[in-house]
Amino acid sequence: MKRFSLGRFFKGMNLTAFTLVMVFLYIPILILIIFSFNDAKIVTGWKGFTFKYYALLWENKTILEAFKNTMLIAGLSTLISTVLGVLGALGLEYHKFSGRKLFSALIYVPLVIPDILMGVSLALLFNFTRVNTGMLTVLIAHITFCISYTIIVIRSRLEGFNYSLVEAAMDLGAKPATIFWKIKLPLIMPGIIAAALLAFTLSIDDFIITFFTSGRGFDTLPIYVEGAIRRGTITTINSLSTIMIGFTLLLVVTTKRIRKIVISSL
Amino acid sequence: MKNKRIVNSNNALQLATDRRKNFTSWLLSAPALLWLIFFFLIPYLIVIIYSFLTADIYDVKFAFTLDAYRQSFTSAYLHTFYLSFRLALLTTLLCFLLGFPVAYYIARAKDKVKNTLLIFIIIPFWTNLIIRIFSWRIFLAYNGVLNNLLLSSGLISKPLEIMRTDLAVILVMVYVYLPYMILPLYSVLEKLDWTLLNAAMDLGANEVKSFFRVTLPLSKEGIFAGGLLVFIPALGSYLIPQLVGNQRSLYLGQVITYKVKNIPRNWPMASALSLTLLLIVAVFLLLIYFLYQQSKSRRQV
Amino acid sequence: MEEIHLECLSKDFDGFVAVENVSLTIKSGELFSFLGPSGCGKTTLLRMIAGFEIPSAGRVLIGNNDITYLPPYKRQVNTIFQNYSLFPHISVFDNVAFGLRIRKTPKNEIKSRVMEMLSLVKMDDQAKKYPDQISGGQKQRVAIARALINQPKVLLLDEPLAALDLKLRQHMLIELMNIHDAVGITFIYVTHDQNEAMSISDRVAVMNYGNIIQAGPPDDIYERPNSIFSAYFIGETNLICGEVTGIEDDYVQIKCPDGTGNSLNIDSTFHFQPVIGQELTVSLRPEKIAISRNKPRYQEDINILRGVIEDILYLGSHTQYIVRVGALKIRVFSQHKRVYFDDKALDWEEPVWLFWHDTDTWLIDQIPENVLTAEELSEGGVNHYQRSIKRSAVE
Repeated sequence: MKRFSLGRFFKGMNLTAFTLVMVFLYIPILILIIFSFNDAKIVTGWKGFTFKYYALLWENKTILEAFKNTMLIAGLSTLISTVLGVLGALGLEYHKFSGRKLFSALIYVPLVIPDILMGVSLALLFNFTRVNTGMLTVLIAHITFCISYTIIVIRSRLEGFNYSLVEAAMDLGAKPATIFWKIKLPLIMPGIIAAALLAFTLSIDDFIITFFTSGRGFDTLPIYVEGAIRRGTITTINSLSTIMIGFTLLLVVTTKRIRKIVISSL
Repeated sequence: MKNKRIVNSNNALQLATDRRKNFTSWLLSAPALLWLIFFFLIPYLIVIIYSFLTADIYDVKFAFTLDAYRQSFTSAYLHTFYLSFRLALLTTLLCFLLGFPVAYYIARAKDKVKNTLLIFIIIPFWTNLIIRIFSWRIFLAYNGVLNNLLLSSGLISKPLEIMRTDLAVILVMVYVYLPYMILPLYSVLEKLDWTLLNAAMDLGANEVKSFFRVTLPLSKEGIFAGGLLVFIPALGSYLIPQLVGNQRSLYLGQVITYKVKNIPRNWPMASALSLTLLLIVAVFLLLIYFLYQQSKSRRQV
Repeated sequence: MEEIHLECLSKDFDGFVAVENVSLTIKSGELFSFLGPSGCGKTTLLRMIAGFEIPSAGRVLIGNNDITYLPPYKRQVNTIFQNYSLFPHISVFDNVAFGLRIRKTPKNEIKSRVMEMLSLVKMDDQAKKYPDQISGGQKQRVAIARALINQPKVLLLDEPLAALDLKLRQHMLIELMNIHDAVGITFIYVTHDQNEAMSISDRVAVMNYGNIIQAGPPDDIYERPNSIFSAYFIGETNLICGEVTGIEDDYVQIKCPDGTGNSLNIDSTFHFQPVIGQELTVSLRPEKIAISRNKPRYQEDINILRGVIEDILYLGSHTQYIVRVGALKIRVFSQHKRVYFDDKALDWEEPVWLFWHDTDTWLIDQIPENVLTAEELSEGGVNHYQRSIKRSAVE
């Protein structure tokens, strides 16, 4: 059929671009996963299938310590930044309060500047105030960069909020406190959960800000991995990375599932 | 007289309600606001202060000097700015060229398939950055997978030296930042009214012309968003040049990090460089904002 | 000027047949409509003419040129889309100029032609506005200008009035007719609204399930429907099934059961050759039936029915009656030509006579059971059946 050759060409071009990008995105990761099972110290050739490097992970105290730190920081910073985020998002509801502009600016600006700047500024802050770098400073840093995200996510959920529900509740005699706990909070819960998940992910993934605020002695997983790569102890990194990829996959799937469950339960 | 009083008391009531709402908002926002002031705003003030101090090996001396700025604008460091700027620009451009067709393809796909395709883009996006960089190290290494493959299939006789070059940096940058370009583009393209393309073709524009006259202008917002999300972080990138780049030409992120972390320290310079970076980003954002407002005001009749 | 030929056009989508073997010639300068319910294939047909669908079989020709496989931008055909599809990111002026700019028309020529076209559609003072700043009716006019400025051989209109409210629709219908008269090119109009199609078209093609059921001038289709679907879909009619009992030179006698076992005799002029014993359907339009409580003196027992009024709908200029004749429900429209002050109006449950002229009935060579769905049948072959409010028992 002699027709629309130009249109077909574009369709083909898009498809090729898509496949190329898919290959581009996944091949390195797949190779990583495959070679984590390779029985060799360096990645020259396939020497045989083994779980040994996974087993080694378990015995490596430093890695386990880093993992514990990562989870601790992520958990605490998620909790605190989500709570602050809920409060902040609710505070932003009213349009006229003085200081709103400053608040909005402080929320949005961190999102558009490179995070190395936040790392530098916090490092200098801790130096200036003579605070020793360690778990506390890392926690503070994580909360700081998570707040912007939690506020924005919850805020966007609040914006779609149907006020006629509040009015209906008032009409039926409910007091403001009741309205908040029984109506508002449940309805923005999906937003809160989304915000928490986002904060959690950002926290476990962060490198550069943690790098500037952790000093010696307190490692998170990303810090440890970076150090190991630089030092060249590649073997366990493969298996560690594969596990982290698996964890990411789990997180993506869970996020979608949790969203569905929360939405349907309402 | 009675009516006037009622009106007045209504006003008073309104004012009281407003004041109460104001106070509640204040109360609710206070924790987050205070936190951000202490841990976001004030640190920057400290950075500004430090940029005017004297450097010392381990710490900083509280002696005023403009040395940090003077040094920052020497040719060596200007070259660093240039390199980072060039890298960020190139990355953004490549991400756009690769990302647009992908976003378009997904946006035009059938609804059932769309979500799955998106997940395929999101998974690498959510994977830890260091791991993604690491996977490329394995792939591109001198005795890594790519070389082994090419050698054993006879396509090359000597291993390619891609690792630790500028090529590697660009490659991994695009790899890392591609999803940041694809997702905003997708969200804009997804909402596009496809019958407009039919209309354009009906009026005599072939596929190429319809694309440039209709699709592209209408996806402007997505292009701006994607461009910003790639360009700005790319300017300050540290990890990628550090792990796969050649250590002879350093990028801005690396320079700043060395001056903070490595001994001898030079925090004033790190501050000065950081503030300059901040300035560049601010100028860039203003430019984008200005352009955006321009395109909007043109429409006012 | 050139005619448009559709030759054996078919289109199927993964097994679903949208258009089946449509052949038609549209005369140049005609205002031709495709009319039918949703899903009948009219839009698909239009898209094949515009170039957005490639036929599975058949050809589309303008004059002698086979344009079947030409892309839309190479056809001298322009379309008015259902939601106008004006480009939101450019002004009204630029929208209209779009086609000219593609053809690299010189700037001053663009300016004069666009302003000329805009004044034709009375939008010249809105040239600088953007689509989101103008109303629905205005958008439609811009769409028309944008299409016509390219001087196409055919203008396709895909349900152009669907998005407008009633008053605007009526106004724009007349505007479209005027524009057609002014410009003189062929218009192909697609709609599901029979009032639109019937009122402005030179010819109408009634479609159902991908086929053209009947094509011709509106009065042809109304008075002489060739099928039950045409009779049923356009306007309102009574469909009465019967058996041929006698054939004379210029009329046919048909025995129609009234549901009680008695037969009703109906004369009818015929346009095809019926056979004794054949089952066919008689279409009788409600406005052609006279209704009275007195039997007319000259009437024989042919073309007359006796029934009881079941429903009355008083509509000011006319009254609609539903008359129960045995198991049949016959609809009658009675126009109030003159009001007799001493005449009592017909009442519910009043026995009446229904009668008509033998040329008022029309034979169709089909049986409703074979054509209409159960739902349509249960309506008694009438459209838009409404029950009027019965008076309360107290009265």
